[in-house]
Amino acid sequence: MSDLDFLALHGLAVRKHGGPATVASLLGADEAAVGVALEGAVANGYAAGAKGIFMVAPAGQAYLAEQYPVVFADARGDEAFVNSYERFEKVNVDLLTLMTDWQTMPAGGGRVSNDHSDVDYDQGIIDRLGSLHERAERVIGKAADAQPRVGRYLVRLEEAYDKVLAGDRDYVSGVRVDSYHTVWFELHEDLLRMLGRTRQE
Amino acid sequence: MSRVIFLDGSSLPDRDIIGGKAWSVARMRSLGLRVPPAFVIPVDECRRYHDAGRKFDDELWNDVLSGVRAIEEATGRRLGDAASPLLVSVRSGAAVSMPGMMDTVLNLGITDEVESGLAQQTGDTKYARETHARFCHQFGDIVLKADLDPYVAGPTADEVRALVLDDVGESIPDDPYAQLRAAISAVFDSWESARARSYRKHWGISEIGGTAVTVQAMVFGNLGEGSGTGVLFTRNPLNGDPTPYGEWLPGGQGDDVVGGTHAVLQLNALLEKMPAVHTELLSWANTLEQENREVQDVEFTVEQGRLYLLQTRTAKRSPDAAVRIAVDLVNEGLITEDMAVQRVTAEQVDTVLLPHISAETAASAKVLVSGEPACPGVACGIGVVDPDETERRAQAGEDIVLVRPTTSPNDVHGMIASVAVVTDLGGSTSHAAVVTRALGRPSVVGVGDGAAMSMAGKLLTVDGGAGKVYEGRLPLIATEVDEHPTLRTLSAWASERCAITVVHEFAGSVVDLDADRSAVDAETGKIDVEKLTALLTGAEAAKGGVLNSPEGAQAIMASGITTIVAPRRLPIQLRLIQQ
Repeated sequence: MSDLDFLALHGLAVRKHGGPATVASLLGADEAAVGVALEGAVANGYAAGAKGIFMVAPAGQAYLAEQYPVVFADARGDEAFVNSYERFEKVNVDLLTLMTDWQTMPAGGGRVSNDHSDVDYDQGIIDRLGSLHERAERVIGKAADAQPRVGRYLVRLEEAYDKVLAGDRDYVSGVRVDSYHTVWFELHEDLLRMLGRTRQE
Repeated sequence: MSRVIFLDGSSLPDRDIIGGKAWSVARMRSLGLRVPPAFVIPVDECRRYHDAGRKFDDELWNDVLSGVRAIEEATGRRLGDAASPLLVSVRSGAAVSMPGMMDTVLNLGITDEVESGLAQQTGDTKYARETHARFCHQFGDIVLKADLDPYVAGPTADEVRALVLDDVGESIPDDPYAQLRAAISAVFDSWESARARSYRKHWGISEIGGTAVTVQAMVFGNLGEGSGTGVLFTRNPLNGDPTPYGEWLPGGQGDDVVGGTHAVLQLNALLEKMPAVHTELLSWANTLEQENREVQDVEFTVEQGRLYLLQTRTAKRSPDAAVRIAVDLVNEGLITEDMAVQRVTAEQVDTVLLPHISAETAASAKVLVSGEPACPGVACGIGVVDPDETERRAQAGEDIVLVRPTTSPNDVHGMIASVAVVTDLGGSTSHAAVVTRALGRPSVVGVGDGAAMSMAGKLLTVDGGAGKVYEGRLPLIATEVDEHPTLRTLSAWASERCAITVVHEFAGSVVDLDADRSAVDAETGKIDVEKLTALLTGAEAAKGGVLNSPEGAQAIMASGITTIVAPRRLPIQLRLIQQ
């Protein structure tokens, strides 16, 4: 398997399912080449696909699990990269708190769902997202110095943040779009897979 | 004439000129309420500062100094005076709030001498030391733009200063006036920050404006007996009950109440200790509620028996409280029926109407696991661990509760297909919690290692609001509008104001939008208003969940349709009225 064949399968595994365009966007790779790689994975029995939407087959999951320690051996042995991952986990805690503050708001002693009728409240959170994004730029930037592919997530986070600034609220934590949380969640998954770590929550 | 404005309430300048914060201070003063003394440097000075190449002239600085002297006279404290120190906050205040603007700097004016003075007067060395360190952190972070980790109590001011110096090569001034000048410049500079500029470009906000700077005295809730800090809600924000509700922290300062670092008392404790202050507080809060015609969330501090209001805002409230309060305010003559049907949202009504488990049912049901409530709501289904199986069985029409040890992006399709989600690990701010809230799926997280597997194959009832998972299918109670004491009233007002008929049943032909999903994007769930309008145009009547949405309301109005069939009238009526 070529590097791209492997990465296309890995990218598909991070997203769970998707077409060449979404996987190519995740990897920052050429869409046509990713399409060819995914068709190849189907031929190998590593992926299944219908109507241009692919998903990783059980054999593909097993193959990935076996290959990760080999393919990402450099990353796992790179102290700078592992350190930036540890920093990422710290920012992750703040990101999740911010997302919770976006979705819910304090009312008396409890919290209620945020109906987004309070413009100032929402603006305050978007402002915090801006500060957090600046921290993310530093942390993910350092990770990308060691593993350049990770830098692709920064581009996607920036795109989500821009959409939020332009007034599209769904791009904060929406599930069905490449929202800030969706991209972040994928980055988290990607890092865990690269480093062979287990998820703590 | 001075170029700064002392906010004594004698005049109420336009919000565009002095910014929201200063406006709110001036308004409270003009209502005769006590607020820590403050002055504001108006918006046009920001433009002048930038036109002069990021400099402010001596004349403005002299006026700032007069402003400081006015605060000193009002408080009997002096900036930099260890025996009786004045500390101030510095805030930005543009007419429109925008990202990139400078955050507040608190406790400006603290120096080594002032720290020891404060320690003596409060009898609290730790407080004085922390206030100083926190100020240095905030000043370093916000004004000098040092790259610091978020503040954690512990380091001394000197240690924070060293970190800042190391990172940016600049020292935090030990002279209060130099601190003030630098903080004001930083506020003006933040108007031209990259983020603020890109925001203005996005929204077409003029570059000609600027931000005001508000300088306000800090008051102390920690000056021994007769001091403290708290918050007051003019009505109960959880159930809407029209009795004031609040928290009081004797000897507390600043963020202690909000930060949850100290045990707080109920407001009755203030009534017992300082009845006069309590009476004054309730009367002032009532004034604010009457003036704003809306339930208020008031932050206050008592300094040696003197009450100061720090801030008032429209209180956040639960959906139940929102409905109750809107109806009560009409009955009390504070707002009109028209305003009430504008204030309550369809989402709030939908939430009040959500089916729930009665207390009696809950008491006799078997709790399988409990954890942290992550997303409210109740749902029943079969526990399934595998997200693919969840998706498959849900598509076949089964109600599935996805039970997972943890969740990753690989599980999201299963979460979308499920009726509820339960996870072994994680708290109310986990990825699982964020995703389920975005989807509106009831969820309970952190129920304990191995619990998910134990629930596989069982019939479960998940109560996301209570954080409990029950065995079996529990009977749910559905609230009906006509049986609800306040929704019934609100519904009558809405019916009088809604031009479109919303009915439960209709004898003629009805366009069924649950069957025809062509206006909804299958992948993103986005509703295409134009397509939906086309489907509705010319129809006699229509039904479908898609109509109970902002896009649905737009399409109804645009299409000219006159009859909507819906299981519940009120949410759709409110959406149409609020168009």
